[in-house]
Amino acid sequence: MTTIQAALSGILLGGLYALMAAGVSVTWGVLRIINLAHFGMILLGAYLTFELATAWRVNPLVTLVVSVPVMFVLGGALQWAFDYLRISELNSLLITFGLLIVVVQSVSNVWSADFQRMAAEVNPYATESVRLGRFVFPVPTLLAFAIAVLVIFGAHLVLRRTFIGRALRAYAEDRPIAAAFGIDHRKIGVLLAAVTGATAAVAGMLFSLGNSLIPATAFEWFGTVFAVVILGGIGHLTGTLAAGVLVGLLSSVVSVVLSPATAPFVLFSAIILALILRPQGLFTTAGAHR
Amino acid sequence: MRRITIAAAAVALLLAAACESKSPSEDAGAGGPSAASGDPIVVGSTLSLSGAFAATGAIHKIAGELYVERLNAAGGLLGRPVQWVVRDDESDQAKVSTLYEQLITQDKVDLIIGPYATPNILSAMAVAARHKYTMPQHTAVIAPLLTYECQFPSWSIGPTPNEFVPNQLFEATASLPTPPKRIAILTNQNGSTDFVSYGSKDNKTGAVSITKQKGLDLVLEVRYPPTTTDWAPIAARVRDAKPDLVINNGLGVDPVNLLQAMAQLNYKPPMMFSLFPAPGPPLGLGATSDGLLSVSIFEPNKATLDKLGGDATTIVNDFKTRATAAKLPYTVFETQAAASWNAWEILASGVKGAGNTDQTAMCEALHSKGADTTFSGHLTFDPAQNNFWPTTQTIKQIQNGDWVTVWPADRAAAQLRGPTP
Repeated sequence: MTTIQAALSGILLGGLYALMAAGVSVTWGVLRIINLAHFGMILLGAYLTFELATAWRVNPLVTLVVSVPVMFVLGGALQWAFDYLRISELNSLLITFGLLIVVVQSVSNVWSADFQRMAAEVNPYATESVRLGRFVFPVPTLLAFAIAVLVIFGAHLVLRRTFIGRALRAYAEDRPIAAAFGIDHRKIGVLLAAVTGATAAVAGMLFSLGNSLIPATAFEWFGTVFAVVILGGIGHLTGTLAAGVLVGLLSSVVSVVLSPATAPFVLFSAIILALILRPQGLFTTAGAHR
Repeated sequence: MRRITIAAAAVALLLAAACESKSPSEDAGAGGPSAASGDPIVVGSTLSLSGAFAATGAIHKIAGELYVERLNAAGGLLGRPVQWVVRDDESDQAKVSTLYEQLITQDKVDLIIGPYATPNILSAMAVAARHKYTMPQHTAVIAPLLTYECQFPSWSIGPTPNEFVPNQLFEATASLPTPPKRIAILTNQNGSTDFVSYGSKDNKTGAVSITKQKGLDLVLEVRYPPTTTDWAPIAARVRDAKPDLVINNGLGVDPVNLLQAMAQLNYKPPMMFSLFPAPGPPLGLGATSDGLLSVSIFEPNKATLDKLGGDATTIVNDFKTRATAAKLPYTVFETQAAASWNAWEILASGVKGAGNTDQTAMCEALHSKGADTTFSGHLTFDPAQNNFWPTTQTIKQIQNGDWVTVWPADRAAAQLRGPTP
């Protein structure tokens, strides 16, 4: 009973991991940018939710009306700058890490390094759950899972079924050839990065529903989110969702069956093993992309 | 051209990051001379003004600035003004060592005071010991680790916190009409908390062994890493273990995350204790956190302030004003600020007791005369106990949305409440 409950909670939490990882995965796979600043944008999204919900006394979900456009513009602007400066894949790692540190310090300066959380009056979701028989589903992670499924499958369909999606995939495969066919990689790159910025805003809002915020939180996401990106296959959106669920499930079950202290050991051992056996990711075939 | 552009961007980035860190000169001289005169006595220290410990570092900075300002207004030390040079150690213990070394050998400060957070204090203590400086320190309570004879703790849980904390808690809960019998112990594997559950190298006594010694039923024992983000599995295990009392030897927002995860399972433990929580966030949980227990060396409850008199009330109010201006989320002068205040008063007592700023004389004066403090009374320092004075630590509880001291009875501002029916 305890294990099944923990497994269900873990699967739902995996949705949040997947949503956080989706932006990193797609910019890495398609734009060849390892965007650590994405963690900073998630952090900003979370703090914007906290600030707006607290100041305006509005439902945290409503804050997306502000945070999504802000992060959309920020994500697009960053990609424009990367493109203008012709940042290589390796350099992007260093530069975006610097940007992340700037964001974390700026957040500390604006909101202080102390713990911040939305009060119970503005965030009723924090302690709410949905009961199904003997099992309960915490609302914050239930929402995260549902939104992650919507966003990731929506993005997957766009990549598969639309001209922009096909253009992006062509660009990821072979930039010169794609350009020769008239694909304006700058415009679609900026658009893609802007959309991933918007997903960061959503992920930040969802994180803030169930967690206290401190600026250093952004660094705590690294290990798990990169695990999801790698296991799901870089640039592989549905794989990211599956990997998020797997990581959440594994982590929760090990926490109950063994102990929470053992969970990171088991999780990262499994990741090392997966990388050795299936370096392309667990949910994609060798040579396949997205 | 492109390289130049990239280099310019990198420089801009570095400059932006650098601008976020305060330079030493910006923080120097907090509370300049007023009533006192002559060359200032310079006190050097670091604080974590950025990085992981910055939230609490900010409390110590405000408390220190307020203390120095009041001290100077009252004539300073030995008739001279006091100037505080505080540097940002960025919550990095390696930087702490370097900065204390610089403060002592290059800046040649007259006095030093400890940084915040146990790892940083241990780093600073090594430098202080090498140069034989007297170092009052705010918050390191693991007495067996603090062996330098001229470090003076301003927060004491006695020589064996791993025995004192669980015993005091069980003593308090035993006073309830129906004392808890089924105990769950959840332990953060952080160095500051794990030893309270499991003891340390030489003394393995802790909450776990004491629970068993007292004949209580240990229904759940969980150790979790400091990086834990998924609280649902722990919450599910607690709910299914049906404890009367959950002892969470954790810190920061651990109890908030746990209570929230348990509430999501439609469960609230009858009683819960948390060792070192950030004081503000649990209050934001409303009814979910009502009844939560923790430890404290000072809570500004009216009954306590009335007992201490006007000066304490003024300090508490001034701190609140400054903390509000600094946009601290929790502006109450409580344990951390009181520990900071104690440390400054220990430093001042050392100088006054010695009649000068000679480090050896100060250390001897503190050993022989002790120190007078506003919030913890007269402190005595026994080198055999690593200077850890008889503790004045109390147990506090959230009642009606506020922390109040509830144990021991003679220092309580309100009565300990048992589980709500």
